[in-house]
Amino acid sequence: MNSTPLTWRETMAWSLLGVVLFLGLWSGLTTSGLVPRQFLPPPQEVASRFIQLLTSPFAGATLPQHLGSSFMRYAYGVLLAAAIGVPLGLLMGWFRLLDDIVTPIFDGLRFIAPIAWVPFAALWFGTGIGGPVMIIFAGAFPPCLINAYRGARFVEPRLIEAARMLGTGHTRMILEILLPAAVPSIVAGLRVSAGLGWQSLVGAELIVAAAGVGFMMVQAQGSVQTATVMTGMVAIGIVGMIIDVLLRQGEAWLRRRRGLEA
Amino acid sequence: MIGRRGWIGLGTVAALIALWFLLTTVTGIVSGARFPSPAEFWLSLRQIWGRGYAGGQLMSHALHSLKLVAMGFAVAIATGIPLGLWMGWNRKAEAAINPVFLVIRPIPPLAWIPLAILWLGLGDSAKILVIWFSAFVPSVINTFAGVRNIDRPMIEAARMLGTPRWRMVREVIAPAASPLIFTGLRLSLQASWTTLVAAELVGALVGVGFVLNMAQQDLYPGMILVGMVTVGLLGWATTALLGMVERRALSWNMAARD
Amino acid sequence: MGSILFQNVDKVFGPASSGVKALDNINLEIAEKEFVAIVGPSGCGKTTCLRMVAGFEAPSAGLISVSGKKVTEPGPDRAVVFQQFALFPWKTVRENIELGLRNKNLPAGERNTLVGSALKLMNLETHADAFPHQLSGGMQQRVAIARAYVLDPDVLLMDEPFGALDAQTRVVMQEELVRLARVNPRTVLFITHAVEEAVYLADRVAIMTRRPGRIKEILDVRSIRQAENWDRFQKIEDVMDLESFVHLRTHIWKSLREEKGSQSI
Repeated sequence: MNSTPLTWRETMAWSLLGVVLFLGLWSGLTTSGLVPRQFLPPPQEVASRFIQLLTSPFAGATLPQHLGSSFMRYAYGVLLAAAIGVPLGLLMGWFRLLDDIVTPIFDGLRFIAPIAWVPFAALWFGTGIGGPVMIIFAGAFPPCLINAYRGARFVEPRLIEAARMLGTGHTRMILEILLPAAVPSIVAGLRVSAGLGWQSLVGAELIVAAAGVGFMMVQAQGSVQTATVMTGMVAIGIVGMIIDVLLRQGEAWLRRRRGLEA
Repeated sequence: MIGRRGWIGLGTVAALIALWFLLTTVTGIVSGARFPSPAEFWLSLRQIWGRGYAGGQLMSHALHSLKLVAMGFAVAIATGIPLGLWMGWNRKAEAAINPVFLVIRPIPPLAWIPLAILWLGLGDSAKILVIWFSAFVPSVINTFAGVRNIDRPMIEAARMLGTPRWRMVREVIAPAASPLIFTGLRLSLQASWTTLVAAELVGALVGVGFVLNMAQQDLYPGMILVGMVTVGLLGWATTALLGMVERRALSWNMAARD
Repeated sequence: MGSILFQNVDKVFGPASSGVKALDNINLEIAEKEFVAIVGPSGCGKTTCLRMVAGFEAPSAGLISVSGKKVTEPGPDRAVVFQQFALFPWKTVRENIELGLRNKNLPAGERNTLVGSALKLMNLETHADAFPHQLSGGMQQRVAIARAYVLDPDVLLMDEPFGALDAQTRVVMQEELVRLARVNPRTVLFITHAVEEAVYLADRVAIMTRRPGRIKEILDVRSIRQAENWDRFQKIEDVMDLESFVHLRTHIWKSLREEKGSQSI
């Protein structure tokens, strides 16, 4: 294995090469006429459309406005998922009976892709906020629950034994032993949850929304405005990346504080 | 054979079904317009199974969806795993490809749907393209992580033993990375189903997602539930299949698992 | 208070018919405030003995009682010091030591006093607000011992407590433990596979056979220690030089060698 890491310079050089190749290929495909311009606009066109949409509205709102309403639904859904999933997971990790009851239900529902809830969401909430929130919840809930559960369940047995030896009761065991021990797992779960929630949001908005970035993209697709569609994708990608980076930083900070990382 | 855990599980399921019956048929707290009663569910199931709905029988819709998932998944792992291995092994490749990946990765797979429809229409190829996009990323990432997480001493031992490159990949790197690769596969499969259903909801002419879409437009809760259950079952079956493959492939690792 | 009794104890892991018999008819009586070490080859079940007194496992047959009462559950009356320390990484040194006292619902003032004296006793005062990962192995084990001591337990159970430490730290800890044990004695059950450690620390040493573990022999170290006045020496190496020490140690080694028999390391 080339196990010696590259120097900063080398990394930059190769990365630059990769980006250039990618953009070059893209541009090449368009300008050569291999792919019709309306299907694959050149990178510059997408970039300028992106900038344009920052201030001029499309499908009812500007890009930041669409992003804003998307993000709000997203936040509700994810926070709800965490607020229910984490405590439930911890309790399931400690009380075997609860685990035995909830797990079959969860296992049954787990395989239904969150997106499959869309028809019911549409039926129950129309294009109201409840629909997307419900679908985001469906997507964001499993990692919260599972990671909290695993974090609590698979705590190093010695620590549980030590706590029992010290006469620790149930409440204290959950709050002061299981919860802190599970934090790395929970945070990792939140990161996955945030990611899945964001993805489910897009899916939901493609179908049942009257505002938001997904809605914007569907409208653009309908009128073959490819640059706008791609702008939407880039915007979603950027926000998704920011969310992920922030959560990663949080996770790393936590690990440092706990001494799990130098 | 059925341990305590199994009995409690069965009991819970039975209790839920009873609750379902109670809320819908018996008391009518939940109206039929919002959620189907057990009877309505059954009727819808019989209809789509026999006479068909939305242009076909349940079996043909399900098999069509299954076919698309299988194809998309296969292409995704056939491209994703090698790329992940390469990026894991070769730092230059990693440096070159990473930025592109960094940009593509946060774009939710479902966000590719409008573009795919624009490019390829409402047919099968668009679906496979989107499935490929969404299933590709987890495979690459996890394969990459799998390679990077291999114990240095193991690689060094293999080199000391004079292992040539191709054998190194096949007999050392791939097996050592396989636990994480399988994690990636599971995520890829999940992503495949999600994307397929979403793509079929947005624009399709056949498939379980299409059934769901039609049922929603017809305001037919019973059929919606049938669609969801079908999605769940298909997801479960394919995941179980993958699990079996995983268990065989990772039998050496089982002792280390939970 | 604090006597330990093993009565006809068997332990089988796995189903009764086809499981592994770890312990076979263990009978052992440990008096109040007596320091007993159990030595034996790996896998002989000595740790299992300790875990049963602690209440983490139950015997398959026979009875284990502490202070006359049958052992059913873990608790602060039988404090455990684990080989891998088992400190809570997210709690400071002080918080780790304090947890047991909070579980006893002691008021804050009393807790502070007790924790303070435990910190002093184990030389941890400057590290009171550090996290375990910031401490060396030896210091972490001190915290673990402090955590156990602060409970004023009738019984102290130590499962190869110095096994994870490097040789020099180990020696320092052994000397400290002797100091503690002489100053503030209580019943101690000490598991180790290091023979010298056992002879240095214990009043009696029980030698176990290989699996299924039985008590092969029990040696009275205390009478020899007192007769030869080992305690006049501060340093462990001086004690280990004494003929009486060497004699005991060699005796136990030979006994353990027999147990190795055809078993390869």
